[in-house]
Order: sequence, then C-alpha cells, then structure tokens
Amino acid sequence: MIDNFNRFVIPNLDLLAHGLWVTVRICAVAFAMAVAMGAAACVIRLYVPGVRYLAIGYIEFSRATPIIVQLLWVNYVWPELFGFPQSVEWAGIIALAIQSSGYLAETFRSGIEGLPRGQIEASMAVGMSRSRTFRRIVAPQVLLVMAPSIVNQLAVVVKASTLVSVIAIPDLMYDALKIVNQWFEPIEVLTSVAVIYILTIFSLSAIAKRIADYFREKYGLAAYA
Amino acid sequence: MSETLRQSLDLSLFWEYRYTVLAGLAQNIYVFLASAALALTLALFVGLSRVSRHRALRILSTGYAELFRNTPEFVLLIWVYYVLPILISKLLAAKFSLSPFLAAVLALGVAYSGFLSETVRAGIQSIPRGHVEAGLSLGMSRFTILRRIVIPQAIRRMLPEALSQFVSLFKATSIVSLVAVPDIMYQVSMINVDQMRPLPLYTGAALLFCLVIIAATQSINILSDRWRKRGWA
Repeated sequence: MIDNFNRFVIPNLDLLAHGLWVTVRICAVAFAMAVAMGAAACVIRLYVPGVRYLAIGYIEFSRATPIIVQLLWVNYVWPELFGFPQSVEWAGIIALAIQSSGYLAETFRSGIEGLPRGQIEASMAVGMSRSRTFRRIVAPQVLLVMAPSIVNQLAVVVKASTLVSVIAIPDLMYDALKIVNQWFEPIEVLTSVAVIYILTIFSLSAIAKRIADYFREKYGLAAYA
Repeated sequence: MSETLRQSLDLSLFWEYRYTVLAGLAQNIYVFLASAALALTLALFVGLSRVSRHRALRILSTGYAELFRNTPEFVLLIWVYYVLPILISKLLAAKFSLSPFLAAVLALGVAYSGFLSETVRAGIQSIPRGHVEAGLSLGMSRFTILRRIVIPQAIRRMLPEALSQFVSLFKATSIVSLVAVPDIMYQVSMINVDQMRPLPLYTGAALLFCLVIIAATQSINILSDRWRKRGWA
C-alpha cells in the first residue's frame, strides 16, 4: 500500500496540487457571486413589491434542483439560450453560485426578519431614511449574526464543487479520476483525495464554529436578545 | 431568434420520452427509499451512542458523525464504488464486487446517517432530564425508559427536521447517475446522446426535479404545521 502510494500519489502531486488550486479558485469565485446574488435576491424579495415573485421563484428553483442537474443545465442549455458561459469553468462557477445563492438568500431573510421590529421603529423615530436604516442598523447585525451560516455555506460549496469534474473542469476530483483511469489503482489516490477534501471542509466547519463562538462571546449575538 | 428559442425549448421531446424518464424517476425513488432506511437505522444507533454514558461510545460516534457530515457525497460514492470492493476482496481473499445500485445506497445511506444522527441527538437531548429521573424513581430500567419515555417523545420532535433531511437525500440521489445507476439524469443523458437536443431534455429534467421537491417540501410544511397544532412536534 505504501508502495502504491509512492508510485501513484507522490509523482502526481503536481497534478493534484493544480487540481486543488482549480477547486479553490472555482469555490472562491462561486462563493463571492453567491453572496452577492443571494443578497440581491433577498433584498428584492423583501423590499421590491413589483418583482417579488420573480425573486421567490428564483430562490425556490435554486433550492429545489440538485446541484448536478443545475450543473448540466447551465453547461448544456445556457450557451445555446443566452450565448454564455463559453467555458466549462464558468458554467461550473455559475451553477455553484446559483445553488448557494438560493440558500444564502433565505439565510439573509431569516436574519432580517428576526431583527426586533423596535430597532427599525427607533431608527425611523430619530429620522433615519429607509436606506440608511438598512445600511447602518439592519445589514451590520444581520451579517454578524449570520456569519457562521455564511461560512458554513462555503463548506457546502466546496462539497458541491466535487461534482464539477463531471463537466470536465480539471479540479481535484477530475485529476484524481484521471490518475485512476490511467493506472486502475484507485485505492491510494482516491483515499488521499478524500482525505484532502475532508480536511478542507472540516477546517471550514471548524472556522464557522469559531466565528459563532467569538461573536457570541463578544457581542452576545447568537440570537437577537 | 425567438423561433429557434421556441423550438429548442419545446418540451414535447421530453414528453415523448416520458416513460423512460419515469423509469429513471423510479430508480431515484428506489435508491432514496433504500438509503433512507439505511441512514435512519444507522442514525438511531449513532445518535443514541452520542448521548451514551460510556465515554468511548460518545467519542466514536461523534467522530463518525463529523467524518461523514464533512465528506462530499460524490467523493464518498466514488470511494465506495471503486475502492471498497477492492479492499473487501483483499480482506476476504475472494472476488467481491458491488453493483452500482448497492454502492449508491451504501454511500448515500452512510453520508446521510451523519446528518440524521445530529437530528436524533438533538431530539433526545431536548427531552427534559426530569423525565428520565422520574422513570428511574419509578424503578424502570434504563432500556425501558428509553423505549417508553425518551424515544416516543424524541421522534415527534425530530420529525420536521428529519423530513427535510430526507428531502436533501432525495436531491442527492441525482448523483447516482455518475456510477451508472439508470436514474433520471442518466436516462436524460442517454436520450441526449440519441437526439442531440440538450435544451428541452435538461430543462425538462430540472423542472421535473423542481416539481417533485417543491411538492415534497410543501406537503412536509403542511404536515409539520398540523403536528405543531396538535402539540406533537
């Protein structure tokens, strides 16, 4: 087993490192997009009466379809329908972003709706405008309270990103499967890759827990007291 | 432009293959039912061990839950399908192989038992300590207390959360196509190889999943509300 490890994993470390870099890049971009799109969907759902139902439809669709379905859908359907994305990497990023933005929008919404009504009334009473209330009172608290859930969603993105190998994005999983198909020695490579993923996601979950504990201690913000 | 759009989005191709796609959906449902049963059984044992009096059991079961909650389902599925049969063959010194269906059920069942065991643990811990003490003072054995006092109450409290975990499990069954279980996505890909018209096919598949899952979540919400009103959950 050590023998095979030396034969199949060590010589391919470069390839695997490159795959890990692709995974990191995709997850980072997709997550940033997901936060922005989630925030937009949430704000539209709560504050823009005319197109509310569009936002609700979008959120429900993104939460109700499995990631692999979205991945194949974006990869095969979007280029013909909208003319983009032109590369598989962007297709993967967009699919991951759509999936997570739905969950993040609901996270933001529960944060905003959980905020005590009195705070908004108080800011109106001192003459703040609606947008200033949102910027100074609502948004900072929601971000603080929801920070652990948001980091947790990053762990979910990393988990889901294993599937982008299906549309031939050369991420960590893709490289691992490539080595397996070359040598038909799956044990060491797949186990090593599984360990890499588990450690990555485990540390992200641990960070989320740390953040939650830190905020709880510092601001007493576990829930709005 | 709009004519090509209309043609390419014409779902009648999807409708033409409805029986093939429904056969795929049946496979999703089989995988779902089998892995849900496996996940529930494992989760009950793991969840109970997590609140056990024995320290070793607690540590082991916490490790199990953390491990499988943090493993991507796809990695687990590939590992179970490719690596596990070889390891078992070496162990038994005999040829051993897993069918795609069994590998899928095993991987998804074990993965979701991690999530469900959290739910089970939370459900059990939500039962006030006084109930157990009352049972003890009446001379009930620990097992009887578990069976007659803790578990019946815990199950009711767990139901809404457990059901939403099952919805996630159903969503996750869409990845079994990748080890060639003939589920919806597998059938759709096969039809696409034949027809070369991905637009209606993949859009139809996405809508079908959407429909099934939204119907499931809505009925779960209605049921949970009803249970809450009855004071169950």
